[in-house]
Amino acid sequence: MLRTLIRAAAVLAVVLAVAATTLPFPEAAHAAGPTTIELWTISLQPFFTKFITGMIDAYQRAHPDVRVRWIDVQPQALDQKLLSAIAGGVAPDVVNLNTESTLRLAEARALVDMDAAVPKDARDRYFPNIWASLRFDGHAYGLPWYVTPDVLAYNQALFRKAGLDSARPPATTDQLIRTAAVVKKKAGVYGFMPNVDGIRFLKVFQEEGLPVLSPDRKHAAFGSAAHVALLARYVDLFKHDQFPDDTLRRGYLGATERFGDGQLAMLTTGPQFLLRVRSDNPDVYKDTAVAPVPVGRGGVIDLPTMDLAVPLASRHRREAVAFALYVTNDANQLAFCKQVVIFPSTKAAAADPYFTRGGSTPEDLARLVAVKELGQARDLTVVVPHSDELYRIFREAIESAFYGKMSAGQALEWAVREWNRRL
Amino acid sequence: MGRPRVEPPALIPAQAAGTRPLARPAALRGRRQALARTVIAYLFLAPALVLLAVFTFYPVIFGTALSLFDYNVISPPQYVGLSQFAALWQDRYFWTALRNSAIYLAVVPALQLSAIVLALWVRRPLRGITWFRVAYYVPVVTSIVVVGLMWRWLYDEAGLLNYVLLRIGLIHAPIHWLSDPGIALYSVMLVTWWKGIGYYMVIYLAGLEAIPSYYDEAAALDGAGSAARLFYVTIPLLRPSILLASTISILAALRVFEEVYVMTGGGPIFSTYTIFYYMFDQAFNSLHLGYAAAIGVVLAAITALFSALNFRLMRQGGLSYY
Repeated sequence: MLRTLIRAAAVLAVVLAVAATTLPFPEAAHAAGPTTIELWTISLQPFFTKFITGMIDAYQRAHPDVRVRWIDVQPQALDQKLLSAIAGGVAPDVVNLNTESTLRLAEARALVDMDAAVPKDARDRYFPNIWASLRFDGHAYGLPWYVTPDVLAYNQALFRKAGLDSARPPATTDQLIRTAAVVKKKAGVYGFMPNVDGIRFLKVFQEEGLPVLSPDRKHAAFGSAAHVALLARYVDLFKHDQFPDDTLRRGYLGATERFGDGQLAMLTTGPQFLLRVRSDNPDVYKDTAVAPVPVGRGGVIDLPTMDLAVPLASRHRREAVAFALYVTNDANQLAFCKQVVIFPSTKAAAADPYFTRGGSTPEDLARLVAVKELGQARDLTVVVPHSDELYRIFREAIESAFYGKMSAGQALEWAVREWNRRL
Repeated sequence: MGRPRVEPPALIPAQAAGTRPLARPAALRGRRQALARTVIAYLFLAPALVLLAVFTFYPVIFGTALSLFDYNVISPPQYVGLSQFAALWQDRYFWTALRNSAIYLAVVPALQLSAIVLALWVRRPLRGITWFRVAYYVPVVTSIVVVGLMWRWLYDEAGLLNYVLLRIGLIHAPIHWLSDPGIALYSVMLVTWWKGIGYYMVIYLAGLEAIPSYYDEAAALDGAGSAARLFYVTIPLLRPSILLASTISILAALRVFEEVYVMTGGGPIFSTYTIFYYMFDQAFNSLHLGYAAAIGVVLAAITALFSALNFRLMRQGGLSYY
């Protein structure tokens, strides 16, 4: 028996040794020839394949010693793929992230500090407020790429059906809620799907001028009577069926789908999602008008930011930072903004007359509307340590209030207590 | 070539004509043949062994060791002993997930029972029965993403399910299948049941085909009715298949992830947050890979326990038992 085992082990060792010598290993970092860097983007194929490949080709022509391999990843899979790649020693060199992912990875010390890696004159090209939104512990961990302030897209046909003036969309959140009630009553479809899923109520608080953290950021500040009243208001709307039951489950994707199906009168969304409506339902797209996003009492609008980060695990950090600077330079940002309704993070690109030129399509209108919003917009992502834990608690509290497990007051009181234990 | 040459017995000197000079080469040859057989056997096994070593044994060993470390992929692992298991004990989300996974196990008996009934149904020599078999098997080979999307539409407030129930008057208001924390888990379990039934049906069909018909005929001759033949002949003889199918089903139920991921994301209020989903959440959303590994170890222990229990309950039966 023992001999058999020894034999088996010997055979296995030989097989593994043979396999090990024949398995392909990644090229050594110092291998001769051009340096290959890998760029990961989020959901840019197929709409922007031509634009991105064109940009890469131009870079490769100007830098013959650098090759760029482009991989487009679905947003849901990005975090897993990125971690797997880092763990496997094959991290991408430049990766497109949103603010939340950037800050989470920054907290784990996984990204290159751009304040240190980028010269001051290059840093100064970006809007300082957008650059600052990628800061964790005083350091910025991504190069701002494009920003997408929300706009209000609304279905004029449903407005008319509800007896509303389609030329006068709601301008405040109070008006939005009242308009939605009229649409629900008279047109028989939902008026809106508020952004209250997951942890997005943290942004709702800020939009209504309510703080999330104390000034020293050591305590949760969302337990006041005003916070409770705001949450209770939305809970009441939910209980009275003023927005769909999948609002908390499906978020903006569900809202975009419902709007595209002609089953939702108003959609507060990034203007780039109008592309999806256009391709999914041209009839609804024809009836779509765009207006500034209704503002709350805080007078501030969220400014979701996309950035390019360089993982510390990248083997070519210098080349990666150089390439990321190229992708986010004025010319490339402006060219990208001409592909879809997004906005640049650099001052010179944003000053281009293109953004103030009108047009007749919903996208043209969205561009005009959104560019005016930029002044009052900032990224409302809440930066906290142990964000995963705190976010999980907040999500549970909000859902508990919406589904009647706790009152709004109990839910927020509990969440504040749990946050304070961890902050 | 290379083998020891055996001289004819007539040429062997008389004093050496014992068994040893003859036996040594024969024994050597035998040993070499045995060695050759062993090597060949292991060479045949090698591809599978290599794959198992790389994709199963190594991850299992690495994962178990990882549960003793605080590790986030980015920083070097820090040894923390059993503290992550102690943290699990006090982690309310872990217990929520564990409770949900325990409830999820209820899908196993329902699934097995219905798969047996279905296998008995489609085994009958009816015209076009093959089409039914194929139809029941289609969900098995359908992508879980497609299945999840399809069921999400069916479950929608204005979806087909609510429409039918409202039309026939069984309900007076739409049911929030995936949004009501009280029923969301059961709604997801129904999808697992629907997707899995065809797979287990095939296992039971194979099991039924393996039972010689004379057992049934002998029982019939002895006056046993159809129900008695089913419960006292067919089901006991089907036990090996039940053991296999229910063990696979238990493992699948404890490791359920895709349905939850596609349809509910663990909500509402973590009512569909299963243990596997929590492990995923800790690993990839929170970057607590060591903690996730600790959850994995606990899950593996629970799985082993249920499998052992199942073997104990189901090991008797089948043709070899009689």
